[in-house]
Amino acid sequence: MTRTITRAVLFSAAALAALGAESVPESKLRAAQDDSSTWLLYGKNYLGWRYSDLTQINSANVAQLTPKWIFQTGIAGKHETTPLVFDRLMYMTGPSNHAWALDAVTGREMWHYSKPVPANVNLCCGQVNRGFAVLGSKLFKVNLEATLVAMDTKTGGVIWETPIDNIKKGYSATLAPLVVKDMVLIGIAGAEFGIRGFIDAYDANTGKRKWRFWTVPGPGDPGNESWGGDSWMRGGGSIWIPGTYDPELNLTYWGTGNPGPDMYGDERPGDNLYTCAIVALDPDTGKLKWHYQMTPHDVHDWDAIADPVLLDVTAGGRKVKAVVQANRNGFYYALDRATGKLLAAKAYTKVTWADSIGPDGRPVLIAGQDPTEEGNKSCPGLGGGHNWQATAYSPKTGLYYIQSTDGCQTYFKTKQEFIEGAWYQGSTVSPLPTEPATGSVLALDPSTGATKWKFPMVSPPTSGLLATAGDLVFTGDREGYLAALDAKTGAVKWKFQTGGVIIAPPMTYLLDGKQYVAVAAGSSMITFGLR
Amino acid sequence: MKGIWLVAWAAAGICFGQTAKTNPLAGDPQAAEAGRGVFRVYCSPCHGIKAEGARGPDLTLGVFNAGSGDADLFAVIAGGVPGTEMPAFAARFADEHVWRLVAYIRSVKKESAAAKGDAEAGEKLFWGKGACGQCHMVNAKGGRLGPDLSRAGRQRSLAYLRSSVVTPGAEITPGFATITVVKNDGSKVVGVQRSIDNYSAQLMDMKENIQSFWRSDVKSIGREFKSLMPDYGKTLSATELDDMLAYLTRLKGEETKR
Repeated sequence: MTRTITRAVLFSAAALAALGAESVPESKLRAAQDDSSTWLLYGKNYLGWRYSDLTQINSANVAQLTPKWIFQTGIAGKHETTPLVFDRLMYMTGPSNHAWALDAVTGREMWHYSKPVPANVNLCCGQVNRGFAVLGSKLFKVNLEATLVAMDTKTGGVIWETPIDNIKKGYSATLAPLVVKDMVLIGIAGAEFGIRGFIDAYDANTGKRKWRFWTVPGPGDPGNESWGGDSWMRGGGSIWIPGTYDPELNLTYWGTGNPGPDMYGDERPGDNLYTCAIVALDPDTGKLKWHYQMTPHDVHDWDAIADPVLLDVTAGGRKVKAVVQANRNGFYYALDRATGKLLAAKAYTKVTWADSIGPDGRPVLIAGQDPTEEGNKSCPGLGGGHNWQATAYSPKTGLYYIQSTDGCQTYFKTKQEFIEGAWYQGSTVSPLPTEPATGSVLALDPSTGATKWKFPMVSPPTSGLLATAGDLVFTGDREGYLAALDAKTGAVKWKFQTGGVIIAPPMTYLLDGKQYVAVAAGSSMITFGLR
Repeated sequence: MKGIWLVAWAAAGICFGQTAKTNPLAGDPQAAEAGRGVFRVYCSPCHGIKAEGARGPDLTLGVFNAGSGDADLFAVIAGGVPGTEMPAFAARFADEHVWRLVAYIRSVKKESAAAKGDAEAGEKLFWGKGACGQCHMVNAKGGRLGPDLSRAGRQRSLAYLRSSVVTPGAEITPGFATITVVKNDGSKVVGVQRSIDNYSAQLMDMKENIQSFWRSDVKSIGREFKSLMPDYGKTLSATELDDMLAYLTRLKGEETKR
């Protein structure tokens, strides 16, 4: 059941209109790449590029980059937000249902939104949130207890808040929403708690739900036959990273999470559609156009939630509109985004579970890689490969930039009774004591997945990336460094110790003729500019 | 699931209010089974897949360092133990989940063999022939290169201590990897990791000097997950090894205050 809470609207529509034009009409979202001064969408543009045309900060002068302001949120927890910037303000979400609007020039707080987190909300990975979406004069964010909130851009005041689903069933929400047309699209988290995943669209004006796409199909729907017994009811398939959108094809692309229970696959015989897959949906109806499952019957927790980035690749000697993903299972995939047909697949890190991806699009499995009661080594580890860390594509260099965790883990499985709202993971992993995982930033040829350069990291990556026309790739790390790499070679051009772990992707904007680079680090937002 | 687990939870200092003194889920096999699922995810990396201890204490003994009542176990899981590797889980787990973990821990209790050697002889060995004190500190006496062992008997299981003495390289305490810096003139600096990142490394050399290097200023910085500690499986007799373990398991340090 979905209930809509609408806050009393103090102004009439006519009075609101008199206060000025909408900050971000839908047309601006469609043209988001053309306006380098702002950052209006999670992935900068609908295609998910995280690429800025700004060149003021470039490989020749980036050594002069220095902090301009630091906003300390004072809230403990992981800061995973991609801030939005428009109307001279920066809009950032934080952990534990907090959010702020900051003056983008000075870092001073304009407003602060907060809402207590219910004690019984179940979360696998901290009280995190990955950012706002915007349309018109409304900001949209999810709260951890699985609600969607619309708030006023100028005050942070709540306009409506809609419950998405029941936290007692293990549902929660952490992603940045995606606005398409007059709708706010979101997905649900909680695949470690026996949920059944979905993607929803809500009316941006009213908060009323327009459609729901179940990532785990129910009885009578195609795909349900890929679940043994009633396992679909606890099938997982969570969504915790927003999708991308191709306005020309009118399709929206979403990566889906792991099946549940994660490691105990005996509970759910079959391919377990549409988990660990990319689904292409008609945003007007929520109907499935096509799906491509990277990891059929996953038992390693290899969500396919990494950004599904939309770009052109060369396949069979012709240019093809593709959706690409550096999947957690260790393979890079390029798919025809009109049809879902596989164009290319290549391992970008050490992979021991599959030899290759066959012409039929299914992995060619290597035996003996599944979790056991006693423990069984497989590569990559549970976190991947490339996890959720935002990727970047530079049309200037033609390279697709990702971060990879390089290593293996021991996977265990345990039969586990399902208890509503309780952990339902079916066991665990342990690191290899003398072979800790490391990491890397990789520049891939998007047409083939071939690695063009590699920047080695001592630890698995956490941050996400930003590419700019200044021939730079910005990257952060667990140890607190924000760095700028040469987009063509991977050489380090600049670095700064922020003093806090960077678990969010950097972004950039232009204000009063000056380019800034911003990133959440520790419990702060830090903005850099040239000296 | 994301799989990015930060060890340093910022949840210390949270007040838990009034919690029950005994486990409301005590004896509930379903609660214990649910607890096992959570245990394997969060606790097994330190306490072992069967709760028999590894880097963290053996939890099957039925005796716990910070009090053995249900409420004590609850407080340790929820609030962590400041100054140790035990983090606070209150930010992640509802009370009910913590009680499930307590139920699981109670369900795995078993009798365990204690160290059988002579602790007095082990102590002499530690400071004498073994020369362990050159690198390890016990109660503010000894060297600084290796981990402080003042609380080793609380922190580590007997089996883990045995493995650490016999084959020190089997598992390195996080943060104690070996760093080798090769300077531009070809000379080497070897020491124990204090910090390392993509651009620099800080180490304690064999003379206990802390040194810091930018990667851009030297030829190379290497990190190896091996121990600088000698392999005592080759130098100690079986009796001496038992004595050493009897001494190490006796090292309990101060009672932890919460």
